[in-house]
Amino acid sequence: MRGALGVRPPSPVACPGLPPLVPALPAQRWRPGAPRHPTRAAVARAPRHEPVTKRGAQPEAAVAEECEEEAVGVIMCASVKYNIRGPALIPRMKTKHRIYYITLFSIVLLGLIATGMFQFWPHSIESSGDWSVEKRSVRDVPLVRLPADSPVPERGDLSCRMHTCFDVYRCGFNPKNKIKVYIYPLKKYVGEAGVPVSSTISREYNELLTAISDSDYYTDDVTRACLFVPSIDLLNQNSLRVKETAQALAQLSRWDRGTNHLLFNMLPGGPPDYNTALDVPRDRALLAGGGFSTWTYRQGYDVSIPVYSPLSAEVDLPEKGPGPRRYFLLSSQVALHPEYREDLAALQARHGEAVLVLDKCSNLSEGVPAARRRCHQQQAFDYPQVLQEATFCMVLRGARLGQAVLSDVLRAGCVPVIIADSYVLPFSEVLDWKRASVVVPEEKMSDVYSILQSIPRRQIEEMQRQARWFWEAYFQSIKAIALATLQIINDRIYPYAAISYEDWNDPPAVKWGSVSNPLFLPLIPPQSQGFTAIVLTYDRVESLFRVITEVSKVPSLSKLLVVWNNQNKNPPEDSLWPKIRVPLKVVRTAENKLSNRFFPYDEIETEAVLAIDDDIIMLTSDELQFGYEVWREFPDRLVGYPGRLHLWDHEMNKWKYESEWTNEVSMVLTGAAFYHKYFNYLYTYKMPGDIKNWVDAHMNCEDIAMNFLVANVTGKAVIKVTPRKKFKCPECTAIDGLSLDQTHMVERSECINKFASVFGTMPLKVVEHRADPVLYKDDFPEKLKSFPNIGSL
Amino acid sequence: MQSWRRKSLWLALSASWLLILLRVFPVLRLAEPARRQAGAPQGWPRWLDAELLQSFSQPGELLEDGPQPPQAPRGGSCYRGACFDASRCRGGGLKVFVYPAVGPISETPRKVLTSIEGSRYHTASAAEACLLILVLSPDTPAGECHPELPQWDGGKNHLVLSLHPAPCLRIFQLGQAMVAEASPTMDTFRPGFDVALPLLPEAHPLRGGALGQLQQHSPLPGVALIAMAEERGGWRTVGTNFSACPWDGRCEQDHGPKQTHPRATLPNATFCLIPGRNPDALHFLQALQAGCIPVLLSPRWELPFSEVIDWTKAAVVADERLPLQVLAALQEMPLTRVLALRQQAQFLWDAYFSSVEKVIHTTLEIIQDRVSGASAHPSLLWNSPPGALLALSTFSTSPSDFPFYHLQQGSRPLGRFSALIWVGALGQPPLKLIQAVAGAQHCAQILVLWSSKKPPPPRWPETAVPLTVLDGHRKRTRFCVMREGRGTTLLSQASDRFLPYSAISTDAILSLDAHSSLSTSEVDFAFMVWQSFPERMVGFLTWSHFWDETQGGWGYTGERANEFSMVLTSAAFYHRYYHTLFTHSLPKALRTLADESPPCVEVLMNFLVAAVTKLPPIKVPYGPWHQEAKPPLVPGSPRLRSEPRPAAQDCINQMAAGFGHMPLVSSRLRLDPVLFKDPVSVLRKKYRSLEKP
Repeated sequence: MRGALGVRPPSPVACPGLPPLVPALPAQRWRPGAPRHPTRAAVARAPRHEPVTKRGAQPEAAVAEECEEEAVGVIMCASVKYNIRGPALIPRMKTKHRIYYITLFSIVLLGLIATGMFQFWPHSIESSGDWSVEKRSVRDVPLVRLPADSPVPERGDLSCRMHTCFDVYRCGFNPKNKIKVYIYPLKKYVGEAGVPVSSTISREYNELLTAISDSDYYTDDVTRACLFVPSIDLLNQNSLRVKETAQALAQLSRWDRGTNHLLFNMLPGGPPDYNTALDVPRDRALLAGGGFSTWTYRQGYDVSIPVYSPLSAEVDLPEKGPGPRRYFLLSSQVALHPEYREDLAALQARHGEAVLVLDKCSNLSEGVPAARRRCHQQQAFDYPQVLQEATFCMVLRGARLGQAVLSDVLRAGCVPVIIADSYVLPFSEVLDWKRASVVVPEEKMSDVYSILQSIPRRQIEEMQRQARWFWEAYFQSIKAIALATLQIINDRIYPYAAISYEDWNDPPAVKWGSVSNPLFLPLIPPQSQGFTAIVLTYDRVESLFRVITEVSKVPSLSKLLVVWNNQNKNPPEDSLWPKIRVPLKVVRTAENKLSNRFFPYDEIETEAVLAIDDDIIMLTSDELQFGYEVWREFPDRLVGYPGRLHLWDHEMNKWKYESEWTNEVSMVLTGAAFYHKYFNYLYTYKMPGDIKNWVDAHMNCEDIAMNFLVANVTGKAVIKVTPRKKFKCPECTAIDGLSLDQTHMVERSECINKFASVFGTMPLKVVEHRADPVLYKDDFPEKLKSFPNIGSL
Repeated sequence: MQSWRRKSLWLALSASWLLILLRVFPVLRLAEPARRQAGAPQGWPRWLDAELLQSFSQPGELLEDGPQPPQAPRGGSCYRGACFDASRCRGGGLKVFVYPAVGPISETPRKVLTSIEGSRYHTASAAEACLLILVLSPDTPAGECHPELPQWDGGKNHLVLSLHPAPCLRIFQLGQAMVAEASPTMDTFRPGFDVALPLLPEAHPLRGGALGQLQQHSPLPGVALIAMAEERGGWRTVGTNFSACPWDGRCEQDHGPKQTHPRATLPNATFCLIPGRNPDALHFLQALQAGCIPVLLSPRWELPFSEVIDWTKAAVVADERLPLQVLAALQEMPLTRVLALRQQAQFLWDAYFSSVEKVIHTTLEIIQDRVSGASAHPSLLWNSPPGALLALSTFSTSPSDFPFYHLQQGSRPLGRFSALIWVGALGQPPLKLIQAVAGAQHCAQILVLWSSKKPPPPRWPETAVPLTVLDGHRKRTRFCVMREGRGTTLLSQASDRFLPYSAISTDAILSLDAHSSLSTSEVDFAFMVWQSFPERMVGFLTWSHFWDETQGGWGYTGERANEFSMVLTSAAFYHRYYHTLFTHSLPKALRTLADESPPCVEVLMNFLVAAVTKLPPIKVPYGPWHQEAKPPLVPGSPRLRSEPRPAAQDCINQMAAGFGHMPLVSSRLRLDPVLFKDPVSVLRKKYRSLEKP
């Protein structure tokens, strides 16, 4: 255990050689300027063996810089002085001139003040709210008269795909991997006769454009935009004139056959035959439509969106927990074809109480909107509250495939039973609807009850949770719908930065609990590759050489890397190093930091890394070789020798570090441990919070941090190999054992508590086993055993 | 003089004013846009009358939109609901009939036929089947494309399958039939109805298959970043320092070390660029096999099994029009994502593409998933090891019931186990064993599977946990009827013990023989270990396999050695799921083989678990004193530490042939308690009786 400490410099003060230099820097006097000069901070961190002259040179440069600033200040003062003195000079002039000049200057001054007022005054308003956004009414937007013969775009091209119809060059390379979306300014379009093309804008479309405008995607620079959203409201085809709307689209400034234009539509088609996509000719424009069928939907090009239910905002419907519900199957839709209604009635007749079929109420009391009441015979129910009483809820096709009832049903945590052949479910490109819904072919409507009954209880509960989560994430508001649509398009354009299936589909509770092991593929790396030993050393050359000699006896060692952490002293000359059979490299570090041991050096060529301190000479070649063999079978784990444990201290109500010889293990010391080199990358670049700096500052607990990190990303326990319980270094015996031991334990306990709070959880896993060779301590001839020399504590 | 001075003063004054003006005005000018950019950009206006705007739909419009009658399927356009009658599969699940080949056929279609016939969905009767498969051969002349098919019926419930581009597919009257075609073009592909197959090379193995090339998780240092698929086949590795698009003729001035490899070799690079033309689909599988991350440049073809496989986890689909961006993105891709893509590509290869059999079975599994609706495989089962072919949805659709997904689900296996004691033909009631096991801390129940010819004793010892006696004989026939509908064939006893008995209520099973000998402490410790490795077998006694040069085949031995690859199921913990897998997924031929020779059952179970996990089993300590108390060997029953008889030796070779490869993996370690045999006080040790009885 001491061994791990052995590398650290004798004094806990980080840089013993440096402190006197810092106050001596003349630059310190310029306090106000100091924080702005990173160079000065760098001096403190500069390698200690650097020549002194360099240290002197930098302050001088800093002084020069400061002087320059002073000089500027003087000039400014001078001009001010003249200004003040100006009036004193004036009386000496002739009166005529005086008046002339005074007038002139007053005018100029007034002009200046006025300009300043105009320029600066409104800005303070802008920062507090919306200066740039004029307080305007929708009614005052500019009018555009469309000539009757203005061009109409061609009908949509059904063969469009992202790589044929979408101009990806406009999106270009974007370091943030975010597309830029431009919104055309609002205009009111009228036909030649002055009849408006459509209502200017609906509440929902205004919300949608506001959501886009408030998002990271928005740009007001039309030249930088990759996606264009017209402000022409197309949400409901019934409220617009098809041909004129198309003409209005065609005259948009960047229309260009609709390339990279995104149109939103929720209610497509119109009587009598209700097309499943917007009838407005739109050429190559992408369509985010509610109610696509497989025939009109251009896979991978269009986006299928939900039909927004206004009840989402109007009604407050808290989430209902799991548990049995009163009705098994419920149908709440009002406008159903008589054929469907007959089927439903038959279902109800067969299954009685379990099925509830609702219809509109014939004698509605005053003041209650029709949308909020449903009736079964004489019995009235509140809608959408009644949906929470049912396990499954029907979503049947109406005239349109997309039904707003789907949103209400999901919200109620009722599993939608979708009976609408060929309907492309909302966001089906990314959402896994199998997890939240049951799709039944229209033909099979009479079997629906038996189909649903075959679903196990647990799966139903999962589907209910999933349904509610889909609503919360993607149906809840117009904003949610708009942002999900843009995210889908964004993912197509920047596939390397795309959001994963889990991100789209897993509810937050699942995301939180799940672990995705970065080394999930079960494979045993070939023995031939061997491992790289990394020895962290400070100045104990003699001990270091012994370690090198010992480690080099291990058959599978393929390279030895010495991390020279002492900046005051050069490593010994090449000729002095022990001659070993594998390549030996020395890496010099810029700073004496503990995290240097876990740096992903380019020199590491093998996957397996053996981290070893420069005083661990007690491990036998068999022990090390066996450790490597064990690592091969568990390449995603930390494989080490002495094990340690974390315990919950009930008295203090916090975690405690335990080094007693217990029956359990949750950590291994990295004084000698095998692990995958990927964890070096994680330690250096992905360590959460300030743990890395904390470790470097305290010169302790780097091994605990590594244990936390690996357990957190893999969700797996460490493997302790062989009976070894401690690293005994001959040199550390002199240290006063007990008191240091106690402070050490306190420090280590603090580390555990600190890390657990940074990780937000206790990732360490406790196990009761260790790995030994198959025949360890078996009654078997020693010379036939592969690893006979294992056993000391 | 004074005027000069005054003039100069005035000059200075006006100059300073001018300076101020000049300096201030531009600042003011600049201030405007700069300030605006610092704040929110000039966005969509907040309308004064936003509250007064009308909703997009009239009240009631959403409720009543003019109901329409159900629609008849339109001609030529099929989707699952209309053209595939799933109700024909309701009764007995998916049953598949395949039209026999007419005349001589080439090798690949024959492999396809063999694979379909070997599937557990196969039926020999066309009347019983709910899916009828017509295998098109690439070498059928175009004139003979219209075979007489009595059950054709306009193609309803038919699947036309072609592993290679067949000329017939273009002229065939498909009607309502589904098409399973290699790399179909996106324009003709009907999502959710057709099945996209991979374009396989000519000599793809029937089963087992070419193993993946990935030997380690992270890319080797020094390996080329990018390999580029060549038009003539083969790969060209491109150096990391490229300034231009390597796939575009226009910018061929790319300079970097380039190497061209012959056609057969697999690419050795981190990323494999594959152009979007159809013939390049062949490269796609090569890349998967090599563990090289496929980067598809605007593919015009549907990715294989895209209905169930989430390709975003294993491949990058990029736009070929943005070469520099793609290269930059690949170079800057974080290591974590590179690792994940690499492993996933390799996993998919092993799970679904490495053999013709896997490709065909995956196709059938996809259709089975469509038929079964809500009890289909969840996406997680398809997209994480061991894959949907080995995670049967008939067992459960909830991932946490399986031993493989506890990490992803954040769940744990149930904390108790069931002991399943098999009493063979001449066995005695294992009273001592029952006492030892019942005393274990986490034992939930004891099941005695009584297959002895003698009747079971009327009284059993009093135990702390419930004890149930299962009648091996009766169960056997019942299971046969239920499973295969061929109640006449009696299974022999050997594989009886691995039937998925419904009485087993826990995730963990401790499988025991009547004459096994175990102590309570051993059981307790082994179960603790199993909880850390729920997908593996944790056993006490081991066998190891070896390659026998003299025989030119595999052999196995029970001799004590420094490594092992099998644990004996006469005393082992494993997950209940392996009973289901053993019974429902193994080919009949292998099960019959195992039944004929009892030690083979042990081998078969080990093969199965190793093929699923690709990892060795785990050995835990077993007291040497048990050997002394060994009962007299019973002929014909699996024995503890028995030397496999020579006759049984051959079964390992037959099984290796049946699996197509040798799945067993050796281990060199044993898991012991932390303080096992350490020279410390016995009082400290939790499992002290492990060291002495």
